[in-house]
Amino acid sequence: MAFEFKLPDVGEGIHEGEIVKFHVAEGDSISEDDVLAEIQTDKAVVEIPSPVTGTVKKLNGAEGEVIEVGSVLAVFDSEGDDSASSDEGEKDEPKEEEKAESKDEEETEKPAKKESGTPKAAGQDVLAMPSVRKKARELDIDINEVSGSGKNGRVTLEDVESFKDGGAKKADTSGKEASKEEAPQADEKEKKAAAPAAQDEEERIPLRGIRRTIAKRMAQSAFTAPHVTIMEEIDASELIEVRSWAKPIAEKKGIKLTYLPFVVKALTATLHQFPTLNASIDDENEEIVLKKVYNMGIATATEDGLVVPVVKNVDRKSIFTLAEEIRDVVDRTRNKKASVEDLKGSTFSITNIGSFGGQYFTPIINYPEVAIFGMGKMADRPVAVDGEVVIRPMMNVSLSIDHRLIDGDVAARFLNHVKELLENPKLLMMEMN
Amino acid sequence: MVVGDFANEVDVLVVGGGPGGYVAAIRAAQLGKKVTLVDKAELGGVCLNRGCIPSKALIHAGDEVHKMKNSGHMGIEVDGLKINFAEMIKWKDSVVNKLTSGVGSLLKNNKVEVVQGEVYFTGENTCKVATESNSTTYQFNHCILATGSRPTEIKALPFDGDKIISSTEALNLSEVPAKLIVVGGGYIGLELGTAYAKLGAEVTVLEGMDSILPGVDPSMTRMVKRSLKKLGVEVVTGAMVQSSDKSKKGVTVTAKVKDEEKTWTADKVLVSVGRTPNTDEMGLDQAGLEVDEKGFIAHDEQMKTKNEKVFVIGDIAGQPMLAHKASYEGKVAAEVIAGEPSVVDYRAMPYVIFTDPELAYTGLTEKEAKEAGHEVAVSRFSFAANGRALSLDAADGFFQVVADKDTKQVLGAQIVGPEASSLIAEVVLAIEMGANAEDIALTIHAHPSLPETFMEAAEGIMGNAIHMVNK
Repeated sequence: MAFEFKLPDVGEGIHEGEIVKFHVAEGDSISEDDVLAEIQTDKAVVEIPSPVTGTVKKLNGAEGEVIEVGSVLAVFDSEGDDSASSDEGEKDEPKEEEKAESKDEEETEKPAKKESGTPKAAGQDVLAMPSVRKKARELDIDINEVSGSGKNGRVTLEDVESFKDGGAKKADTSGKEASKEEAPQADEKEKKAAAPAAQDEEERIPLRGIRRTIAKRMAQSAFTAPHVTIMEEIDASELIEVRSWAKPIAEKKGIKLTYLPFVVKALTATLHQFPTLNASIDDENEEIVLKKVYNMGIATATEDGLVVPVVKNVDRKSIFTLAEEIRDVVDRTRNKKASVEDLKGSTFSITNIGSFGGQYFTPIINYPEVAIFGMGKMADRPVAVDGEVVIRPMMNVSLSIDHRLIDGDVAARFLNHVKELLENPKLLMMEMN
Repeated sequence: MVVGDFANEVDVLVVGGGPGGYVAAIRAAQLGKKVTLVDKAELGGVCLNRGCIPSKALIHAGDEVHKMKNSGHMGIEVDGLKINFAEMIKWKDSVVNKLTSGVGSLLKNNKVEVVQGEVYFTGENTCKVATESNSTTYQFNHCILATGSRPTEIKALPFDGDKIISSTEALNLSEVPAKLIVVGGGYIGLELGTAYAKLGAEVTVLEGMDSILPGVDPSMTRMVKRSLKKLGVEVVTGAMVQSSDKSKKGVTVTAKVKDEEKTWTADKVLVSVGRTPNTDEMGLDQAGLEVDEKGFIAHDEQMKTKNEKVFVIGDIAGQPMLAHKASYEGKVAAEVIAGEPSVVDYRAMPYVIFTDPELAYTGLTEKEAKEAGHEVAVSRFSFAANGRALSLDAADGFFQVVADKDTKQVLGAQIVGPEASSLIAEVVLAIEMGANAEDIALTIHAHPSLPETFMEAAEGIMGNAIHMVNK
């Protein structure tokens, strides 16, 4: 019988996704867990596996189209099954006993099932009318995550609706939004008619998905946080020594050791002493939020643009572990396998353009964080040591801070401390925790 | 499946026609499901046939008698008051019949197929429905179990349907017993005990715990104790029933009270020590379901059991065993089956007890609110200061509001007094809406009326009540 597969919620707070690519066409046969489509959310491109083995009867939506979570993405003809929707996924699979046995495994693997899970009841501390709580469930929003604008934090219908829009502000396929969409399109047509020549001179690409998110976030950060960037040179001689000493040891463990984990450790140790750099400003409540966890965002270049995967609890991990986890999460991000979970929760970020060749740069803070550390190129340069010019491997680094929260002197002392640790890795060991 | 045994294929099978089951069936049908409802007896379940409704009818009749006997101070003198108990029972039955036939036609109008029989599971989505003459196999896509509960029996007092009875028989006696022993001072025992006391029975209540109505705030039970005393009801707490002895005359019950054995003799003994969920003898294990040590079936927030096709609602889903809880859960289960994102998501459960005076409560008590971390403000308005209560000659009791001291948000209420069971509704609404005491205080309440007491108590939270001295 026909099996309707609804677009699963690919991660918390994601309510729609853009169809990047269908890996099958209508009429194709597909096996369970084969890639059905690539869906781009504002955080990542996610591969959606097929929930069943069967024939693709119908694909809804075209590539490039935005589809809402919960709407039917594809219809399959799967032999022998008797149910009609992915909502009832459970009973579609365990027809044969062997399948029933492997049910647990399937459950963890298949996003389709998890996501069509139980909607959440509002916690006792959520202040919202029953109809608003119901609306949240209908919109697939966890009302516990919505901050209320009303008196005593009451969550209104408007709060719930705007939370949905804020969660994913991509072009909506729903009726209301569609009309909004038409307007700019009409504009565009007019423009084209008015200046046909322009068509040859430029190409217009819709600002979508990750690029759109990058654009939004960069603008938000730049226009919200007054940035100040300070820069420093770091003599990497000893760091290089330690790293070359540890490299073969790491290799034996199957770990590729770069300089990055050392930098992460130096930053974490310093953040412990400068808590305001591991913080954010809650603009709405006018509060400074000091973070008690140390989650490091690692700015990563991908085909689709800049993405910042996160290594969690870096203060509790060894350099080897960090090396391994950074590699793992960056790889997954580049291969579009990162989960939304991998992409959130950072409290401080590092951007490393050194490997691409830049010397000094002024990184934009990964808002709402309040500081970002930039690594430039490492190269031999002449420096003055004890009154003599010597050649040393130097690394240029920068630190951008949100000047609302962090004063210049604090930033300078922070960067000095990082410099000290990286120039004397032994010291780094002393300060490790 | 036996060869030749054809299964009736149904979409949604609802087992039990009580306030959980019939409501679930109607909601599922409203949402486009094809629904079959099976009940072994009559529609309406315990609530309509042997519980809430008939007991309220008898309680009301008892109240009327009591008022007539006790209205001399209003200048009403009644001579020759007679009780035709058979007629009273007939009237009670007519109330029940009106409601059960109403349920029948509601189900019919919603195109719910109603089948009489007992359900026995044979697989995770199959069951047999047995009537006296035959047995039919059903296969379902989803099943909602709403089989309810029955009076719990105790060893020392096995039910015999005549002298040692449960609430079921207590609602269908042929005459008012001269002497009645009620074992169990919970709400069922006290409601019926009070009604029979008002109808002329000499009533003794034996309760095992230290107080009647265990679990209810002691400030509320105090007034019930006082009124039971006035009615001449003997209340013995800490009484552990040991044995019973039946003779022609009646039943003698022996109970240990503070290490001392005492006996009471009466025409009838009503045993109301609790209710047991109906989850046995149904082949639940064949459907992959288990019951816990109390007989309840585990479920998630959508009432779904570990067999994803089977939902449980009402008394078998856990405490509290309340008809309105069952109905609420029934709607959730039906909506989930129809693909809606419903979930059990209520803030306040109303509890109502039809003693004299009535008791009702919802949300948090002062103690619970403190335990939940609130700075608590409590305000109590007495019915003695309410014009309507006085004119009803029912000025005993109070309306107490518990609120958060800072936000003034209404967290709960405890009501003792006239129409407490109706008055609680406004508090439940207030809690669900997240209203604070100021919202209630700023809402006009009609004068003269009983709900004014909520407004006054709310103003008391704000420190500006008009009709009482503010703390």
